[in-house]
Amino acid sequence: MSGEIEIEIQNGIRVRAQKLLSLGEVGCIIGYERGPRGQMRPMFVYDEAGVERLVWDRTCHHNLVVYVRDKVEAQGGGRAGGAPPPRVAIVARPCDVRALNVLIHEGQLAREQVFVLGIACPGMLDGDKVMAHCRRCKERVPVFYDALLGEPPAIEAEDDDWQDVAEIEALSAGERLAFWAQEFERCIRCYACRQACPGCYCFECLAEQVDPGWIGIAHRVPEKAFFHIMRAFHLAGRCVECHACEQACPMHIPLSLLNRKMAREVQELFGYTAGGDADVPPPLATFRRDEELPL
Amino acid sequence: MKISSREALAAWLDALIADHILIAPRRVEDDLLYRPVRDSAEIVFEFERTALSPKSFFFPETEVILQVEKRGKEVEMGEPALAGEQVIFGLRPCDARGLEALDALLIDRPPADLYYARRRAATALIGLACPRLWDGCFCTSLGGGPDDAAGMDVMLYEGDTGYWVLDISERGRELVQGLEGEETEGEPPASDRSGERVAVRPPEEWRARFDDAYWQRLAERCLSCHACTYACPTCRCFDVRDETVAAGPGHIQIQRLRAWDSCLSPAYRRIAGGHNPRPDRAQRLRNRYYCKFCYSPLDFGAVACVGCGRCIDVCPAGVDIVEVLAGLAALE
Repeated sequence: MSGEIEIEIQNGIRVRAQKLLSLGEVGCIIGYERGPRGQMRPMFVYDEAGVERLVWDRTCHHNLVVYVRDKVEAQGGGRAGGAPPPRVAIVARPCDVRALNVLIHEGQLAREQVFVLGIACPGMLDGDKVMAHCRRCKERVPVFYDALLGEPPAIEAEDDDWQDVAEIEALSAGERLAFWAQEFERCIRCYACRQACPGCYCFECLAEQVDPGWIGIAHRVPEKAFFHIMRAFHLAGRCVECHACEQACPMHIPLSLLNRKMAREVQELFGYTAGGDADVPPPLATFRRDEELPL
Repeated sequence: MKISSREALAAWLDALIADHILIAPRRVEDDLLYRPVRDSAEIVFEFERTALSPKSFFFPETEVILQVEKRGKEVEMGEPALAGEQVIFGLRPCDARGLEALDALLIDRPPADLYYARRRAATALIGLACPRLWDGCFCTSLGGGPDDAAGMDVMLYEGDTGYWVLDISERGRELVQGLEGEETEGEPPASDRSGERVAVRPPEEWRARFDDAYWQRLAERCLSCHACTYACPTCRCFDVRDETVAAGPGHIQIQRLRAWDSCLSPAYRRIAGGHNPRPDRAQRLRNRYYCKFCYSPLDFGAVACVGCGRCIDVCPAGVDIVEVLAGLAALE
C-alpha cells in the first residue's frame, strides 16, 4: 500500500518536472535522488535528462527549503527589469511548505519564485514506523502548492498531548539541567542542525560572531547548551516541526524537544502554528497597536 | 603467539584501569563512541566503527594551552598538566593510520605540536582487527587493510577460540605481560580484504583539476556543516582564543583555548577587514578534499585520508567521499 502511494508521488514528480523544464517554466528542480548507498539525498535537476533520477519515498527526510534561496539567487533572483522571475521548483511536504511560508512572511522569498511540487503526505518513516511528529501532523496537504502529487491520504491525526514536552517540564530545574547536559555532552558543535534548518538563514550566526563574542569557541557543555537554547529561542513561532535538525544530527540529540517547548508556548500565547496559514503573519514578526500579551 | 579468552581480556583491561585512563568503544545513547571506561563491562567488543574517530584523545575538542591569573600585581602563568597515561583499546587499523597521518603533520616536521605530541607519547594503542571491510570502508584503496597492525602497540585478532595477541612495540610487550593466554603455533586469522575499492589520483593530477566545474556540482547538496571534519581521524584544524574565565576586584583569570574548527565554515577563512578568499561553499568542500589528497601528500608525504568512511556516515546531505574520488578519477 505504502509502496503504491510512493510510486504515484514519484511518477507525479517526474511528469511535472519534465513538463516544467521542457516549457522553460523553471530553471532548476530541487528534489531527491537515491545516493550510491541507497539512501535518499537532495538533488538538483537542470535538464530533462536528469528527470529520471528524481525519486521519492517516505524516507526523504531532508527539508529542501534550505536550498531554495541559493537556487533562486543562481537563477538570477528574478528582480531584474520587470521580467517575470525565473523560478525554482521544489518537492515539498506540508511541513516544508510551512517553512516556505515562514520565509515568505519574513521577506526572504517571494511566492512566485517557487513552483511547489506539493506532496500529499502519508507521513515519513523511521524503519517501518511512521515518525511521531508525522502521526501528530494535521496537514496532509500543503497550505499552498502549484501541483499536488498523490491523493490526500485519509489519515486521522493523533491528538498532540505534548506528553514529550510535559515529561521534561515535570522535572525539577536541576534534573532538567542534568538531562540537557547529558544530551549536549555528545554534541560536537558541528552545526548540522542549524545548517539543515530552513529557519536558520542568518548570514552570520550569533554562535560564530567574533565581535561581540557571544559564545566562546570551546566545545564544552555550557557553550553547546547556550547555542542550542539560543537557536530554540530564535525558532520560537518559526519552527515548522519538520525534524530536519534531528535527522541531520550525527549524535542523535532530541533537539525537537526544545523546539516543541517553544512551539507550545507560541501556540498557547497566540494560537499560532508556524507557517500553518498562508495569510497569517508570524506573531513574533508583527506588531499591533492594540495587542495585549496574555502574560 | 598467545591466544586469550574474552574473560582473560576483560580481567586484563580491568587491571589496566588501576593505573591508566582506559578508553574503549562504549555505547552512549544511540551512538558508539570511544570514551573512558571504568569497568570492562562497559566495553563493546563487537562493532563496525565508532561514530567519531578517537582523535579527541590526542587533539581534544577543547584544550586549555595557557592559564593566566592576575591577583593584584602578581601574575601567574602555566599550562595544565596531563591527566595521566592513556590506553586505547579496540582501535581500528584505519584509526592507527589516522594517527600516523596526524604525526606527519604535527610531529615529524618541526616545530612539533607539543600538546598533541605529549598526549601521543602518553598513549598506548591496542588494536582490534576488523574481520572485513564494513559498508563505507575503503581502507584498502589507501594502502591500509582491515588487519593492518601498523602503528599499534598491541594488535588483537579475533578467532574461533579467542583473541590472538600480537605485541608489536616495547610498550606493547610490557602491557600484555599481565594478559593471560595460551601460547599457540600458527597464524592469526586473516581478514577478508575484498570490498569497496576506489582509484585515488596522485596529487599532481588533482592540481590540474582545481578549477573543474566538478567541484561546483559536487557541493550543491553540501550544507556547509562541520560534521565530516569533526568525525574525521585526520582533520586537525583549530582556532585559538583567549577567554576570560573569572574576573573580580583585583583578580583576573584568563585561559588560552584551542578548539576544533572546520574549513567548511564560512568564518574559517575570513581575515581581518572582512575579506573571505573562500566565500563559496563549493570552494570550501573542495578544500577539504584537496587538503587530504593533494596538499598533505605534497607537503607532508602522506595522503591524509585513511578510508574509515565516517564522513559518509555523518553527512546529513549524503555527500559520499568514495563517489567524490570515483568521480574525480573518471574526469578527463
